Amino acid sequence: MAPILEVKNLTHTYDASTPFRFDAVNDVSFSVEEGEIVGIIGHTGSGKSTLVQHLNGLLKPTSGNILFNGKDIWENPKAIKNIRANIGLVFQYPEYQLFEETVYKDIAFGPQNMGLLGEDLKTRVTETCQLLDIDFDYLEKSPFDLSGGEKRRVAIAGVMAMRPEVIIFDEPIAGLDPMGRKNVIKMIENYRNSFNATVLIISHNMEDMAQIADRLIVMNKGKLAKFDTTENVFSDAKFLSDIGLGVPAVTKIIDLLKSKGFNIEENILTIDDAVEALVKLKNGGNTYA
Amino acid sequence: MLNDITFGQYFETSSIIHKLDARIKMILLILQIVFIFLANNLISLSVAFGFVLLIILLSKVPLRMYLKNLKAILPIILFTAIINLFYGNEGRELFSFWKITVTSGGVINSIFLTARIVLLIIISSVLTYTTTPNDLTDAIERLLSPLRFLGLKNAVHTLAMMMTIALRFIPTLVEETQKIMNAQKARGVDFENGKLKERINALIPILIPLLISSVRRAYELAEAMECRCYNGAEGRKRMKQFKIRYYDILSALISVVFCLGIIFVNFVTG
Repeated sequence: MAPILEVKNLTHTYDASTPFRFDAVNDVSFSVEEGEIVGIIGHTGSGKSTLVQHLNGLLKPTSGNILFNGKDIWENPKAIKNIRANIGLVFQYPEYQLFEETVYKDIAFGPQNMGLLGEDLKTRVTETCQLLDIDFDYLEKSPFDLSGGEKRRVAIAGVMAMRPEVIIFDEPIAGLDPMGRKNVIKMIENYRNSFNATVLIISHNMEDMAQIADRLIVMNKGKLAKFDTTENVFSDAKFLSDIGLGVPAVTKIIDLLKSKGFNIEENILTIDDAVEALVKLKNGGNTYA
Repeated sequence: MLNDITFGQYFETSSIIHKLDARIKMILLILQIVFIFLANNLISLSVAFGFVLLIILLSKVPLRMYLKNLKAILPIILFTAIINLFYGNEGRELFSFWKITVTSGGVINSIFLTARIVLLIIISSVLTYTTTPNDLTDAIERLLSPLRFLGLKNAVHTLAMMMTIALRFIPTLVEETQKIMNAQKARGVDFENGKLKERINALIPILIPLLISSVRRAYELAEAMECRCYNGAEGRKRMKQFKIRYYDILSALISVVFCLGIIFVNFVTG
């Protein structure tokens, strides 16, 4: 089956005709399969945000193509609005885009722009809230009366209510407390599981990436440095630290144990995996070499 | 679309005009504008024209930058020129149409006025091209400082601080607007197409978040300033000291010579 999203030789140059000319994204190609969760990591300024703004047509590539279901998204520039309905993008700090009087109206805003009316619109909003565990009591509140974490969830729901096939998050958990982070990650997983949606996530939090992402794209200086399964990417700690990134803390600890001679074979990415491996090690008797 | 907004107009070159004290530049600008309007015949107007040309050359800012400014207000210039054609009934009658009569005096009047407006705009652009916005607000504060004798010291300082902050936050707000626009575009807002009413409605999802974040930013900034013990003009000194140097005095002298020149030419030919 053809990949749902395909990026071919994408290059984006800022200020092309000035001395400040700068390739934010340089010859990047990759493809994403339906239902996958792909993480995008890279240090600040590596071109992650510029890259994702191309995927739903907010930026036009200087050269290269983006194919959605095998079709170039710029094939018909007039229909770019449809592309944006099918490829949702949740920006960094999405709570700053809330503007309606009530939470209900704000969640309804996106679907309404797609042409949903009356009962359909109402069912869409309530369904979305049910799925994402947003209390119905909230719907008549002003979004500005909510706490930071709640605002974030409402803003994300506003994009999810459009039911995009592909949904992209730019640092969805930045600046949230642990509870808020857990909630947002749960929302993303719920949405993916309910609609077999494809998810792309930019994040600096390696622990969360390890937990949620199937594959990882590593960006460095505008280029795609690596695109592999999460396990393989995190198994190369040296490569990651060379480009200013790291591996999850628990992976680091297990790596240290391994180097001290403990016999752990698996690549450990999450705390649960680590617990399992350590229990196995303990029950398996003395394997200390 | 928002990238076209030029913020301030400062154009960096290493000219002598850039080095002049901003206060001197402002006072001289006012003086020169007055005298450009005093020039009442062809010769004195040519003197004014020559003087402005000299300043343009000294500023080392490309001529096209000045032309760009002129182009921006071309409609106003044309409008004034045409209206003035019909004023004045001196001189020979050139043609008349219905109740409107155009005389040679009117034509000359119109040409003079146009020339003066063009000179006025160019010479004002010299100030904005060669002085950073911060220097400008500083200069305004200092020029208004005599008002402290009226008990308005804090008011002057507050005004200048407001201008500085406003200028400082223009790029930030432009960036913020762009971000919010993109976020709403991703939610299906269409800014480019649709009827006028739809397009105006499309602005609401931008303006409200922008307003809210500006208020939030203002509170944050005020708190940050108070944390650093800001309490208005009281006991405040400047990092950047203005000093009058020989070229400031020289430029003032040259400007005075120019003004005397205009008066002299007006007197001789008048």
